[in-house]
Amino acid sequence: MAVSAQPRSAQRTSLWGWLLAVPSGWMAAFFVSSIVIVVLLSFGRTTNDGFPAFATSTANYRALWNEVYLELFVRSFLYALAAVVISVLIAYPVAYTIARHGGRYKNALVAAIVVPFFASYLIRMYAWKALLSDDGAVNSGLRSSGLSDGVTFLNTPWAVIGGLVYGYVVFMILPIYASLERLDLSLIEAGKDLYHGPVRTFFSVTVPATRPALFGGVLLVFLPAFGDFVTAQLLGGASTYMIGNLVQQQFMEGQNWPLGSAMTVALMVALAVLMVVYLRATSTQARES
Amino acid sequence: MTGVVRPSRRSLLTGGMALGASLALPGCAYIRDDAPTDAPLPPSAKAEIDGDLIYFNWADYLAPKVVKGFQEEYGVKVIESNFDSMEGMYAKLAAGNQYDIVFPIAKWVVKLRREGKLRAIDPAQLQNAEQVFYPGSYFNEPWYDAGSQVSVPFTVYKTGIGWRTDKVSSMTGSWDDLWNDEARGHVFTLDDQDEALAMAALLLGYDVNTAKASELEEIKKLLISQKEYLRAYSSDDINNLVGGDAWVHHMWSGDFLYMKDGVAEDPTKFDFQAPSEGVPINSDAYAIPANAQHPGTAMVFIDYLLRPENAIKNMGYLYYPFPVRDALPAFAELTADAPACNVEISDLENENVFRLLGADEVQRRAAVWTEVKAS
Repeated sequence: MAVSAQPRSAQRTSLWGWLLAVPSGWMAAFFVSSIVIVVLLSFGRTTNDGFPAFATSTANYRALWNEVYLELFVRSFLYALAAVVISVLIAYPVAYTIARHGGRYKNALVAAIVVPFFASYLIRMYAWKALLSDDGAVNSGLRSSGLSDGVTFLNTPWAVIGGLVYGYVVFMILPIYASLERLDLSLIEAGKDLYHGPVRTFFSVTVPATRPALFGGVLLVFLPAFGDFVTAQLLGGASTYMIGNLVQQQFMEGQNWPLGSAMTVALMVALAVLMVVYLRATSTQARES
Repeated sequence: MTGVVRPSRRSLLTGGMALGASLALPGCAYIRDDAPTDAPLPPSAKAEIDGDLIYFNWADYLAPKVVKGFQEEYGVKVIESNFDSMEGMYAKLAAGNQYDIVFPIAKWVVKLRREGKLRAIDPAQLQNAEQVFYPGSYFNEPWYDAGSQVSVPFTVYKTGIGWRTDKVSSMTGSWDDLWNDEARGHVFTLDDQDEALAMAALLLGYDVNTAKASELEEIKKLLISQKEYLRAYSSDDINNLVGGDAWVHHMWSGDFLYMKDGVAEDPTKFDFQAPSEGVPINSDAYAIPANAQHPGTAMVFIDYLLRPENAIKNMGYLYYPFPVRDALPAFAELTADAPACNVEISDLENENVFRLLGADEVQRRAAVWTEVKAS
């Protein structure tokens, strides 16, 4: 037996090797190579016919030193942060209610949350416009009920933040739900014995147990929200331009792929630094708890 | 009709291209030199059916019944693909995709022709050619296609201002109305680099294509001064006006007509003006790529679209005028309630067309537009 165990494990290793080859090849071909192209192009130039071409210029990086860009970076950071905070406030109660009180409707409730996200992001943002415009359904309702003369929802920073929350909140709900779902009920019962009372139990037992999921959800919402440009374009106002809009403009109307690439690389580096800081802080916290 | 608002093609252009960008722009197709060529044009095909038609256009940009009529009459299939931006269309052509007919905006005709990507179109092959190429027609020698060798005109349109007559009473017929006090907080400027810069350039008396640093600086200041009046930059002009967010909207003539005629519950609340400082005029064309597999069918299709009755059907669907001679009176009728939306062929003779600029010029303009939007 001991003799035959040896080749079997070797076989298994080579099988794994082969299975890994497909995803590795895929990632190398389509993920790594496209990032390499972006990095190379960030040192490039634009030909007079408007084509991006490879070169060895640092002009694109020097052009990034612009107050306006820094302002957009800060604005995008604040919008994404607000979207994260609101997402947590929405996601926790929703996930908790489904996981703890959903009973046999659990799966149906999770599906009800996920299904709308099969619709195109663009369509959902257009739907928001129809609902929230000055003469839209919500304002008509407010007016006919006499509650208000109408509220300007659209084209404000809050419309953008709201759109971001709507767009990405599901990435917060699902990990928290999964972790609550797995949570051992006896822990909560033990917590009740120990701490007397549901509130203290919630904050001392439930929240720490779901912390990794929460930290993951924060990243899953923050990163796409930070780079988003569709929301600001459709729901934003005259002064809600985000960093994603800036990058997108370089690739389209601006006809400046090299500058857009330099912005992308700088943004990736900045976000990577932020992420490392965040992951270190959260992992220390997780260990301490 | 409310509730079935067809978003303007150009609002999809800005919104839709956003999502489609990664698909529409295969990087490698771009990183190459499609240098200008002096090679002679591939010769015109005869207008004879030589297979199904592979059709490449904006989504929803011809009346479906007209396309259906072509399939029935000639017994061929129209296989449709769509682009959501000129950049996307260009990238697919540059990557070698084969289409039989494409619909470029004027300045893209210049670019495609210069790079040898289009086939000649001989008007003598088209029975209805005299509908657009009659003696004295502007299109015998359009600015974008010397000798009209590779294109046949499709639509023309202008940019002006749409507004709410029940909210604003102090319009003056100038681009200055985009700084209207009554509409403060309800003014929209098109989210479009060329259109926004052109509007300010016209107000200052400059060329709509200006790339001079000093003029761009003035344009920037002027546009930033508009911010306190603005609700947003947006190309979704139809929905912004119908939804009540916009009282004064920088907008395209065809979108206005479609909104007033087909969408608005009370059309009398809306009006359109073509400001006195001059307005940008633009046009789309039919063209046949050099590598088309069925150029004969494409010729037949163009001929079919030039029939006045088909142009009228298309105009009633798109609300953009077709410069087809015997169809123009029908369009004038369509614009009877908003005559400023009508585009006379003579409008094309003004200089306010968006030309193909050098990359350095585009980038200077883009830098100004970025600063305006970001400030």
